[in-house]
Amino acid sequence: MPQSPSLSAAARRSLSVVSVVSLAILASGLYFAPERAWSNLLAAALFLLTIGLGGTLFLALALITGAGWHVAFRRVPEAMAMIVPLTGGALLVVLALGAQYYAWHPHGDVGTFWFKQFWLTPMFWFARSAAYVIIWSVLGALLVYRSRKQDTAPVNVQQHTGNVRLAAIFLAVYAITFSLASVDWLMALDPMWYSTIWGIYNFAGMMVATLAVIVILCIVLSAPGRPLHGVFTTEHLHDLGKLLLSFSCFWMYIWFSQYMLIWYANIPEETSHFVTRTIGPWGPVVVASLVLNWLAPFFILLPRPSKRSRSVMLRVAVLILVGRWVDVWLMIFPSTLGDTPAFGIWELAAIACVVTAAPLLLARSFASAPPVPVHDPFLPESLHYHA
Amino acid sequence: MPDSTTTLRPPLVTGDKTLSDVTRDICEPMARRPTALWWGAFSISVAALLMGVVAVTYQIATGIGVWGLNKTVGWAFDITNFVFWVGIGHAGTLISAVLFLFRQKWRTAVNRAAEAMTLFAVMCAGIFPLIHMGRPWLAFWMMPYPNTRGPLWVNFKSPLLWDVFAISTYLLISAVFWYVGLLPDLATIRDRSAPGWRRRIFSLLCLGWDGSARTWHRYETVYLLLAGLATPLVFSVHTIVSMDFATAVIPGWHATIFPPYFVAGAIFSGLAMVLTLMIIARKVMSLEDYITPMHIDRMCKLMLSMGCLVGLAYGTEFFIAFYGGNGFEQFVFLNRAFGPFAWAYWTMVVCNVGIPQLLWFRRVRASLPLVFVIAIVVNIGMWFERFVIIVTSLHRDFLPSSWAGYAPTIVEIATFIGSFGLFFTCFLIFCRIAPVIAIAEVKGAAHLKKPHAPQRESGAEKAA
Repeated sequence: MPQSPSLSAAARRSLSVVSVVSLAILASGLYFAPERAWSNLLAAALFLLTIGLGGTLFLALALITGAGWHVAFRRVPEAMAMIVPLTGGALLVVLALGAQYYAWHPHGDVGTFWFKQFWLTPMFWFARSAAYVIIWSVLGALLVYRSRKQDTAPVNVQQHTGNVRLAAIFLAVYAITFSLASVDWLMALDPMWYSTIWGIYNFAGMMVATLAVIVILCIVLSAPGRPLHGVFTTEHLHDLGKLLLSFSCFWMYIWFSQYMLIWYANIPEETSHFVTRTIGPWGPVVVASLVLNWLAPFFILLPRPSKRSRSVMLRVAVLILVGRWVDVWLMIFPSTLGDTPAFGIWELAAIACVVTAAPLLLARSFASAPPVPVHDPFLPESLHYHA
Repeated sequence: MPDSTTTLRPPLVTGDKTLSDVTRDICEPMARRPTALWWGAFSISVAALLMGVVAVTYQIATGIGVWGLNKTVGWAFDITNFVFWVGIGHAGTLISAVLFLFRQKWRTAVNRAAEAMTLFAVMCAGIFPLIHMGRPWLAFWMMPYPNTRGPLWVNFKSPLLWDVFAISTYLLISAVFWYVGLLPDLATIRDRSAPGWRRRIFSLLCLGWDGSARTWHRYETVYLLLAGLATPLVFSVHTIVSMDFATAVIPGWHATIFPPYFVAGAIFSGLAMVLTLMIIARKVMSLEDYITPMHIDRMCKLMLSMGCLVGLAYGTEFFIAFYGGNGFEQFVFLNRAFGPFAWAYWTMVVCNVGIPQLLWFRRVRASLPLVFVIAIVVNIGMWFERFVIIVTSLHRDFLPSSWAGYAPTIVEIATFIGSFGLFFTCFLIFCRIAPVIAIAEVKGAAHLKKPHAPQRESGAEKAA
């Protein structure tokens, strides 16, 4: 089928320039405003990494549930999964640059904090982080590799069973490593605070953002003349919309569970997290996060026609990604910067960096394989799919 | 390629059935006289129920001092049983509502029975808090309505009151959902019955179902809306049950992970109960062609994933207890694993996290006796989970001089057995008076090989 590349050469050039410049600004920020620049770098790296990891997760979940509907656009989450090694590497560099923000300073006798003392030993902490990234990269790459190998051979059910097995392994490993990673990378920024739901909260945020990115990419890639034109249909969009709606509600549910239980029990070491975030200037940001991640998407996506409209879905997905950015921001900035939010050149540079780097990375990995997995046993089902 | 499609999308109904076979196979057991096996099971259930009635009468007449509670352990057996039964109900709503929204067509084989199970389980659950009130004849005080009791008013800040609302809503919606789903099948039974009292009853029950396209259209709209309404209930009920504990500041109870962790545990235990019942029912009622090994396999996979989630929650709680550095929290978890109730804790871990791992293997999932045993083991494990959470968090509190143990009395055990009696009595009666499998839904979902009219092909078949 005749197709134009997802990104024109000119677009690629300008995107590269902006992303390199903004990254350079942030790097210089490490000298001029180290805390803010570093927090922004962490937010950007985490945002990109979780989108990639979310792609892997989507693939694995689809395989393990025996889903057929998604096969027509499966190369999109696969392209996302392929950015994990690079964005994960970037995150590791950021972590290495900011190890001091995770410093756990015991006062005198560690007492009941002996485990925290051991767990946050800098070398152990960094080695663990590296291990998570490597494990996710390898398993994600294997999933993508096996899917691409299907393209060259005739439909083979045995191969498919092998993929399902790999997906199961990934999910088991992911559940444990991602829970720990969200503790190591985010919870540990506020060394006295803890919450058992934290891993699930991060999973929920990641899932919503991932679905939003899949929606945006699929809509863009199925425009006339683009590789998924006529392949990705309104039926697929409708189902992605339902998933987006339900995961947005799931995020809200988990957010509420955490907030409500901490508010109700009112134990000082737990409430500290929400006192910083809900009292004072961060308060409106929290409200914005709830509106962007749940309230607005919920009411917009509830009617059936909006889930089947490309323009509405595109806007909601963008809204949710803004919400995700605010959410990531709220997890990091009050811990590193304290009570006052700030918005200036460093924040703008981080946003510019993400907005330009993401399409570059995703377009490159999408272009590296045929746009449709032609020999997947479920492809016919997905092409004739009706919601 | 017929080979690949049958492997990946196995048929929902086996045995080369026609549409009328489906009706006959499911309706006929109801028209026959009950078997000796049914009478045997029914007698045992009613006996257990009667024992429960005696025990409940005795403890209400005497007062709940006949339980084994003490001033330190103020909640134990009764609340464990309450949470256990509420949890059992969740698989019914998951299968009927959530899997419906996910268009998992295999649910049609088990949804009717699972929904019935939900209703009976919630009824069993309701007994325990009612007795625990001590004066159950004043239960209506839980309802907030204008009254003459002066300052006596429900406490809206208490999760126990939220329970009242959550569970009564759940019972109501589940009952409506179940009944609406039954309508076309009740009409089928009406049409099959000879004129007489039986036919008249079913004509009333099916609300004048006429099978027209308009009726079907309205029916499907209502069903979809009810599924949408019931889905949040899958989450809300056990979320609020978990808040009975998690809003407290008691180490071992207060954990933010409790809501999703309880929901996963509830679905886990509910699936185990569905499997337990369905493995027997398919055999006894000769429904092997409708509840196939494929259905068992899928429920096993769901059960395995829920078991893993529950295991993740156990691990997370333990990890955060140590990571968080709260000494009391650490003590509670060490006390669970190595204290006087260690046997209960390790029973829970082995039954819920250990043994279900066998379900990773296809061969285990294909063996009905093994699946049956694992399902029973999970039921036991999930009961112990609630026991461990409730009792081990209470029995050694902040003041060592008030540390105490707990052992259930014979009255409590009899009440618990009585609740099983109620559950199985209701379920056995249900098997006699309503189709255990949703006939209309099975016909709609299964692509039967010998239909009356040419069937629509699915995408996969077309390509083949």
